[in-house]
Parts: sequence; structure tokens; C-alpha cells
Amino acid sequence: MFDPALFKLPGMRRLTVILGLLAVVEGICIIIQAQFLSLAIVGLWHLQTLATIVQPMLIFAIAWTGRQLLVVFKNRLMYPIVEKTSGDMRRQVMQKLYRLGPSYVAKTGTGNVVTTALEGIDKVQTYLMLVVIKVIDMMVIPWVILIYIAWLRWREALFLLAIFPLIIVFMIILGYAAQAKADKQYVGYQRMSNHFVDTLRGLPTLKQLGLSKSYATNVYRVSEGYRKQTMAVIKVAMLSTFALDFFTTLSIAVVAVFLGFGLVNGTISLLPALVILVLSPDYFLPLRTFASDYHATLNGKNAFADVQKMLALPVPTHRDQLGTQPLDWQADSDLRLSQVNFSYDGEQPALSQLDLTAKGYQRIGIIGASGSGKSTLINLLGGFLTPEADQGSIKVNGQAVSHLNQTAWQQSFFYIPQNPYLFHATLAENIAFYQPEAGISAIGQAAAKAGLTDWIETLPDGLATQIGEGARGVSGGQAQRIALARAFLDSSRKILLFDEPTAHLDIETEAALKQTILPVFENHLVFFATHRLHWINQMDYVLVLDHGKIVEQGTPAELAAHNGAYVRLRDEMVGAI
Amino acid sequence: MKAFFATFKHDTWVMPYLRKYKKLLALTLFLGLMTFFCGSALMFNSGYLISKAARHPYNILMIYVPIVLTRAFGIGRPAFRYAERITSHNWVLRIVSDFRKKLYQAVAKHAVAIRQNFQTGDVLSILADDIDHIENLYLRTVFPTVIAWMMYLIIVIALGYFSWWFGLLMFLMLGLIVIVMPLWSVLLNGARETQSRKIQQTFYTQLTDAVMGLGDWLISGRQTDFNDRQTAPIDEIASLRRADHRFQWWRDFTIQLLFGVICIALLIWSSFYWTTDKASSNWIAAFVLSVFPLVDAFQSVSQGVSEWPSYQRSIRRVNALDTTPTDETDQTVLTESFSQLQVADLDFQYAEANHQIFKHLNLTLTAGEKLALLGPSGTGKSTLLKLILGDLQPTNGSVQLNDVPISRLQNERATLFGVLDQQPYLFNTSIMNNVRMGNPDATDAEVKAALTSVELAPLIDGLPDGYETIVEEGGARFSGGERQRIALARILLQDAPIIILDEPTVSLDPITEAHLLATVFRVLQDKTILWVTHHLAGINYVDQVRFLEAGQFDMAGTPQELYATAPRFKRLYDLDQGHE
Ligand SMILES: Nc1ncnc2c1ncn2[C@@H]1O[C@H](COP(=O)(O)OP(=O)(O)OP(=O)(O)O)[C@@H](O)[C@H]1O
Ligand SMILES: Nc1ncnc2c1ncn2[C@@H]1O[C@H](COP(=O)(O)OP(=O)(O)OP(=O)(O)O)[C@@H](O)[C@H]1O
Ligand SMILES: [Mg+2]
Ligand SMILES: [Mg+2]
Repeated sequence: MFDPALFKLPGMRRLTVILGLLAVVEGICIIIQAQFLSLAIVGLWHLQTLATIVQPMLIFAIAWTGRQLLVVFKNRLMYPIVEKTSGDMRRQVMQKLYRLGPSYVAKTGTGNVVTTALEGIDKVQTYLMLVVIKVIDMMVIPWVILIYIAWLRWREALFLLAIFPLIIVFMIILGYAAQAKADKQYVGYQRMSNHFVDTLRGLPTLKQLGLSKSYATNVYRVSEGYRKQTMAVIKVAMLSTFALDFFTTLSIAVVAVFLGFGLVNGTISLLPALVILVLSPDYFLPLRTFASDYHATLNGKNAFADVQKMLALPVPTHRDQLGTQPLDWQADSDLRLSQVNFSYDGEQPALSQLDLTAKGYQRIGIIGASGSGKSTLINLLGGFLTPEADQGSIKVNGQAVSHLNQTAWQQSFFYIPQNPYLFHATLAENIAFYQPEAGISAIGQAAAKAGLTDWIETLPDGLATQIGEGARGVSGGQAQRIALARAFLDSSRKILLFDEPTAHLDIETEAALKQTILPVFENHLVFFATHRLHWINQMDYVLVLDHGKIVEQGTPAELAAHNGAYVRLRDEMVGAI
Repeated sequence: MKAFFATFKHDTWVMPYLRKYKKLLALTLFLGLMTFFCGSALMFNSGYLISKAARHPYNILMIYVPIVLTRAFGIGRPAFRYAERITSHNWVLRIVSDFRKKLYQAVAKHAVAIRQNFQTGDVLSILADDIDHIENLYLRTVFPTVIAWMMYLIIVIALGYFSWWFGLLMFLMLGLIVIVMPLWSVLLNGARETQSRKIQQTFYTQLTDAVMGLGDWLISGRQTDFNDRQTAPIDEIASLRRADHRFQWWRDFTIQLLFGVICIALLIWSSFYWTTDKASSNWIAAFVLSVFPLVDAFQSVSQGVSEWPSYQRSIRRVNALDTTPTDETDQTVLTESFSQLQVADLDFQYAEANHQIFKHLNLTLTAGEKLALLGPSGTGKSTLLKLILGDLQPTNGSVQLNDVPISRLQNERATLFGVLDQQPYLFNTSIMNNVRMGNPDATDAEVKAALTSVELAPLIDGLPDGYETIVEEGGARFSGGERQRIALARILLQDAPIIILDEPTVSLDPITEAHLLATVFRVLQDKTILWVTHHLAGINYVDQVRFLEAGQFDMAGTPQELYATAPRFKRLYDLDQGHE
């Protein structure tokens, strides 16, 4: 019921004590208020005049006001902590997201990540705000009231006490059932938002397959599935509220009847009877308010657990083995990998026993069949993938590192992925993504080098055109050249990781572009994964990958000289026409 | 008030559903009313019961009726409440399912241009935010308010029956709680709620964009920028919420004070009205105690109503979506089998661009013919394919299939065209399901055969989950070339007469590419193929080659002719071979 993780939040213990004390005071206010209200009623019942009940009415009014003030006061005490916790949590989630990177997003789903960070944390906030105060009230106020009732008349108090554990037991049993279901429901909710994002992104494809219309039923079905799940949870959760409600209301009714008999028999007088009757709903009230929000709390609790789980995911440590400043990559710098292994799932190796040395401003081509591990190698070099621990070694300038997810390293290279993403921003902002402070003329030059000028001139807004999702479309090759322009703009980074940067370009554009790309390769360490073999002539060194292994490496001349994988690829290409 | 009605003027998202499920709605309201009625009646009855008992009636039967009633109300309240909760949630969730479907349909209408018209985050925020909030509109605003108002009426009438002036007084005092306070809340708090909704929504769009481009953020090393960008809305929302909460606490406090006053007013009234004799004074406790259960019902109205502006925003946003069904009256079917595709005198220009992409373009493709389309990046190859498919409308000229304009064949498209576009999408489900989308009736064996022809069988057989391997979002589980081939397998399975391939072998190595092209042209031997390619591998498989340059066809002919006669073609060929 009360998440132990809550107590770990900073400042929570102290607050709990204070809230507990305030709850005691609130309980006392409730008693005073009930006592004097009853006094006034009994006065009237005895047919006394209005003047005689003025004093009890006043005291009632003061106690009532005091009680409400306490409620505000408790909220005010609680809120800063809640605000801080949820704000911090959101920040941590963002930071964590940044650390976990795209592979986490691919696994978890964009929709899921976004809703967890936004809706999820909102739910956490509501949860924190509700749950702490309510639980404390529930644990304190009933006892204060019960003691007073017992002092008035022990029999009713005993009855109320006896009913309490019964209710708790019911709540726990049903709470467990609801929890199990709510867990499922929460998963269902996430699945649904993922499903929707997935569907949206694939909508053009669906349309081409002629499925976009019938998919509406699919969306409806997923949503109905979610409704049924939710209803199942609600039925159970509400059943616990029902049980609770049932017992409390019935208890009040029973107490009223008890008191009625007591009064008829003359064992009790009206005043204490009335006080007990007024107090008994208040005795159950904290329990009831807790239970009525129980369902909302469950969602919040799940979201809380979910966020905690995400925050606890392991991220690469030792990211500062090379310092925190960008590396100064020189002609004599080197990167050495020996016997490095990598696997996506911990079983099948995706890369095995890599041995490679990159020195100074070498240009290294990476070729190999589709699925042979080129992108994986580039991602490993970029530090987005972490090699198997304790196997092989990686050294940068002689300094051993446990992976390449190094702050310093990552600020020293430039990377063009196989499918670059264009942000919803202007063309200029997209090109200057890596160099936000670059001037407009520099951006224009970079665009020119990427062969985009002609196209930009046809755009009414030129470099200020909005592109990306939800804006003007660009062709496949243009997208790729925008990514290239990013690289042209940035001259400080001396290492280039290119993953098929020209795959979407036609031969002529590529040939033209080659003329501007090659000068950039000067004074850079270049890793260039490609299927277009004509690039190989411009490389100093070539790695041929096959099934995750480097099967050949050497200068292009060496590879051409001996009859291996490279020669086979080249011959195949020639034979193609 | 005007704004209130304006919201519903062209509403297709709220009112129709209120009408559609109106019986269930009436039931929900009735149950809600009964819940509070029983709650109040229980305390009323109990108060009366003990006051009466305190008069020491000589016979227990004198208080028998209140005893029975007490129990009845005691059981009635939770039972009604349970029923109310279940029906109201069921009602709302049912509506929400309808909403989601409708939202999807609104978005799907623009399927082709979806990447230009919508940002994923935008739609996601409609899905997660707006639709959920419309759900709350009912649960938190509409139901509680209507129920409280009905309760209000009943109470005022009942009290007015005993004494008109006290009825009037309560009319005013309770009116303060259920009418004045809510309105005041909307006025003061409404703007804040709207503002925070708005921020939340931009936050959605922005974060989705950032998450989808996370890789770039990562290497750019702009962690502070990334964080700053996300923290700005966090802080804004936080400060709005803080003010919001403050307001709520003090408002609730005021409402509670009003209830205190009502309590005292009841006492004072009783001192005049119910103190005529002993029998009537038994009612005093009854009246006073019955107030407390009402606090719950009345207090929630203000909160619910003050949330209205944010719902209003959501309602406007969904209403702004174009949900009119597409006009399908002019759609027809192709009666005879496909014989000719004709593009005549085509002009085209994107609406927002000032650059004409095609000028008087002509192209004829007869059944069984295979055509390769080449051209520099950005000349409009993909655009031409979209025009042929009818996804875009030409500015001038026509695209016809057997003399029927393509725009009239949109319903039949999937049976006429098999399309592999430049960015084929893989859905986050198993390989099997992804490929089967090409033809939902295909058997497992057929799916596997398609995957074998794209040379993925050995790879898939090696995976622990085999054909049931989940491809992850966008196919992230597989390499670029593998994704491309899975998408291609999907097209092979689709049995359409015209196959349109936009760079099917991008991201493939020369060997796989050569094998794949051989397979494609073998499997699709008797189909018409329109193939956009960037280089000349496999060019011999086609009957015609066209070069698209500056809105026109620049070179055309069979590969052999072109090689012999066009120097440019020869140069391209040499470039492709790696000669300089
Ligand atoms: N996230 C992943 N989880 C598991 N396996 C993966 C994942 N990504 C890639 N693989 C597998 O690892 C192998 C190498 O993939 P990689 O993307 O490195 O190939 P590639 O050489 O770049 O191919 P292509 O030329 O097609 O892009 C492939 O067989 C692929 O299925
Ligand atoms: N939705 C759009 N709105 C405005 N202009 C667009 C849109 N989509 C594409 N364009 C522009 O139209 C031109 C042709 O684009 P298209 O995608 O047809 O090129 P392509 O020939 O397929 O190029 P590539 O080989 O690079 O894929 C480009 O200049 C592109 O920027
Ligand atoms: Mg790759
Ligand atoms: Mg294209």
C-alpha cells in the first residue's frame, strides 16, 4: 500500500512525522467540532432557545475552520516535495534517455518513451500528492477518534474497532487482485501508444498495401482490448471500494441502531449518542477517501515503478577514461582494437575477434555483404554499442578504454548514420545541428559543398524552409546530402564515421559529390562503410567483413593482388551488366 | 458563454456520442444521484432515529421503520455507487474507442502526405492527451456537475416545502457552491489550465522529435542543449501547476467554510421551525446531519468545471481534424485486366513550391513491359511514382490506366499496384506478420518462400525465434539491407499486375544486389515493372531506360541502344564500374 521507495525520497521522513502530528491535531479538531455540534443540536432538542446554543455553535465554527485550515496547511507542506520530486524525476528521465540512447528507444518504442516521460510523470505527481497525506491520515485520525468514542462508550468503540481490520483485510485482498490487473492494464496502455505511433509512422506503407482502411478496425480492436482490460481492473478496484463502502456505511447504520436501542433502554443519553453518530462517518472518512482514489493511485504507482526502473537501467560507466575534452587527433594518434567481441543478445556474436589498427589520418573503407556487420562496427566505433566486457582490448593513443562511449571520443568524431533523421526545424538549423553557433554563410557553404545549392534556390524560403516531419518533404538523396552538409560544416572533428553516406544518391550526383567529399578526407581519420566499390580506390586501407568477422584487410592494392573476398565482390559488380 | 456554444457549433466529437449512448448516460446520472441521495438519507434517518429513541418510546416498534430504512440506505449507497462507477467508466471508454478509430481515420485520410502534414508527436499528444482528457471531461466535469445540480434542485425544493424563506436561503447559499464558485474557478483558473495544456502539447511534439533523432543529439555532444530544451517546459508547467494547486486549496477551503455556515444556518432555522414541540424537535438532528454527506458531491463541481477550458481546447483540436469522409461516388473498378498505363502531357508542381517539377511529360507502359527510371537526386522520380499512384494530383495532364483516370481507381489501388517506396516501413511485430501484410491470405509456406527468394531464409533460420522474431520499431532489429529485403518480400507476395520499385536495392552489396535483381525479375516475369534505380546494376533486365532530367525525359531507349549511342549513358556505366 505504501511504497517503501517513497520513504527514500529526500525530506520524506521528516515530513511524515510532521504530517502525523498535524493529523493528530486534525483528529482533535474533528472531535471538538462533533462534540459542540451535538451540544447545539441537543440544546435545541431540549427545546431551549437560540441564545443558549450560541457558544457551542461558535466553538463548532472555530473547530471546523481550524480543521479545514489544517488540510490546506498539510497540502502546502507536501507540495514542494512533490513538485521537486516529479520535476527532478523528469529531468533525470531526460538525462537518462540521453545516456541510454537510440537503442533503448528502438527496444522500448518512441510512443512509450514519450508517454512515460510526460503522462507517466504526471501520474506520479498525482500519486505522490494523494498517497502520502492520505495514508498518514488513515493511520492516525481514526485512532484519535476511536479513543474518544471509547471514552464515551466502549461498546460502540469496540464494534468500530472490530470492523476496521475486517475492512483492511478486504482491501488488501482486493487490492492485490486489482494491482495484478492494473499492472496488465498499464502495459496495455503503453502497448497501445506504441501501436499507434508505429501505425502512424507506417501509414504510407499501409496505404500502399491497401490496408490503411481496414486498419481502422485494428485500431478500434486494440483500443477495445484496452477498454476491456481497464474495465476488468475497474471492476475489481471498484469492488474493493464497494466492499469498503458497504462495510463503512453499514457500520454507521448498525451503530445508529445500537445507539437507538441504547437510548430506548436508557443506557445512554442523547448527547454522547449523537456525538458518536457524528463521529462515526469521520472515523471511516480517511479510509474511504484513500480507497476512492485507489485506482488513480495504482496507475501512479505503476508509473512510479516504471520510471524508477528506467532510471535504474545500467548505463555505460567509465566514460571519462580519455578525459572530458575533445581529443586532439594528430597524424601520429592511433586507435587499436584487438580481439574485441560484440553481441546484441548476449548469445550470437555480431562481431567477433576484431583486430584493427587505425593510425593518424588514414582513410579506411569497410565493405561486406548486407548484414555482415558494417553498421554494427561503425556503431561500435562510435560507442553506441558496448563490446563484451573483459574480452580483447581497445586503446586510444595507448590509453586502454573499456568501450568507446567516451565523452572525449564522441566529441571528436562525426557520424552519418545509414538513415539520417531530419529534425522538425529549418534547413539551416538541421545543417547546423552539430554546430548550433555556425553563421549563415558557413551553413550556405556547407550546403553548396553537399550539392544542395541548386535545390535551395528553388525554395521560396531558402535555408529558412521548415523541413522534417510535419513540414515540407525532401527527396531521399536530399536528406542524405543534408546529413553530409552537417559534416562539411564541422571542421573541428577530426574523425569521420560514414555509414553508406551515398546510398540514396544516383551515380552522377555521387560522382560530383565525391569531388567535394575527398578534400574533406584530408587530415581526417575516416571510416567509410559502403557498397559502392569505386570509393575503395580512394581508401588507404580496406576492411572486408563477413558474418561479423574481418576476413581481409589491407591496402586496396594488396587486396586486389590476392584472390579473396574483395576481388569476388568486385568481379560480381563488373559482371552485373 | 459565447465561446462555450461556439465550441459545440461544428462539433462532431462530443455531442454525437452523447446522443448515441443516451440511455446509458441517463442510467449513469440516475445512479449517481441515487448514491448521494442514499448517503444523505442515511444520516438523516439515523439522526431522526436516535433523537426519537432518546424520547424513550414505550414500544420498540415506534422506531422500527427508521431502523429498517437506515439499513436500506446503508446498503443502497455503496450499491448505487458501485453501479454508477462501472457504468460511467464503461460508457466513457466505449466512446474513447470510437474516438481513437475516428482519429486514425482522420489521419489516415492524409496517409500519403502524412510525413508532411503531421508530426508524430502531435498526433500522439492528441491520442494520449486530448482523448484522455475528453474522457475526464465526462468523468470529472459533466457527470459530477449534472448530478450535483439535480441534487441541488431536490434539496431546495424539499426545504422550500417546509419553509419558503429557508428554501430561498439555501437556494442562494448552495447556489454559491454549485454555480458561483465553479464560474469563479473557470475565470481565475481557466487561463492557467489552458496555458499548461498548450505547453504540454508542444512538449509532446518536441520530445517526440528529439526522441526520434536521439542518435544525433547524442553524438553532437549537445547534452546541455538537449536538457535545456526539455527543462524549459518542465519549469513552466511546474510553476503554472503550483499556482493552480494553491488556488485549488483555498477554493476548497472556502467551499468548506460555506458548508460550515450552512450547518449553522440549519441550526438557527431549526431553532425557529422545529422547536414547537418535542415530536418535531426530533427532526433537528436529522436535518443537520444530512448536510455532511453532501459536501463530497458539491465540492467536486468547482474543480470539474474549472478544468473545462482545457477540455475545450482538446475538443477544438479534435474538431479541427478533417473527418469528412472522402467522396467515393466517382470511384470505379477496372473491368478488363490491365493493358496500358499512360502518362500524358503531365505538369506538376508542389503547392507550396515555386519550382515546376514536370513539364509536359509523356510515358506509356504496356502490360508486361519493364522500365528503369534514372535521374539525378531530387529531379522528381519519387514524385512521378506518387503521381502514377494517384497520391498526388497533376497540375495539368493525366495519368490513365486503360483509359480510366487513376484518381477514379483509388479503392482498387492495392490490387493494381505493388509498391516498394523509398522508405518502406516495418511494423513492430514479427517478420512473418510484416511480410504477410502484402497478402493477408498467404500461407506460411508462401511467406517463407518470399523470404527465401530475397535470400533471408538462412539468416532467419539462424535466429532463436526464427520467423517469429520481432523486428522492433521501424525494423531496428535488422541491418539496412535486411530491412529492405523484408519489405521487398512483402511486395513479392502481393499479387498485383504493376509493380513499382523505388530503389529496391539501396543498402545492398553488389553480390546480394545482383542475386536479388535476378530473383525479382524472375518472380515478377509476367508483371509490369517500373523501377527507379540509382545505378546501372541489373539494367539489362529492362526493356526501356528513361532518364529524368529537369522535368523531362532526357534519354530513352533500350540499355543496348543507349550504351551504343548515348555518351552520357556510357559515362555512367563507367562510373558505376569504378573507372574514373
Ligand atoms: N538491434 C539488433 N539486434 C540484434 N541483431 C541485430 C541488431 N541490429 C543488427 N543486427 C544483426 O546484426 C547483423 C549485422 O548488422 P549490420 O547492421 O551491422 O549489417 P550491415 O553490414 O550494416 O548491413 P547492411 O549493409 O545491410 O546495412 C545482421 O545480421 C543483423 O540482423
Ligand atoms: N512534399 C513536398 N513538398 C514540396 N516539395 C517536395 C515534396 N516532396 C519532395 N519535394 C521536392 O520535389 C523534388 C523531387 O523530389 P523527389 O522525392 O521526387 O526526388 P527523387 O527524384 O526521388 O530524388 P532521390 O533520388 O533523391 O530520391 C525535390 O526537390 C524535393 O525537395
Ligand atoms: Mg548497415
Ligand atoms: Mg526518391
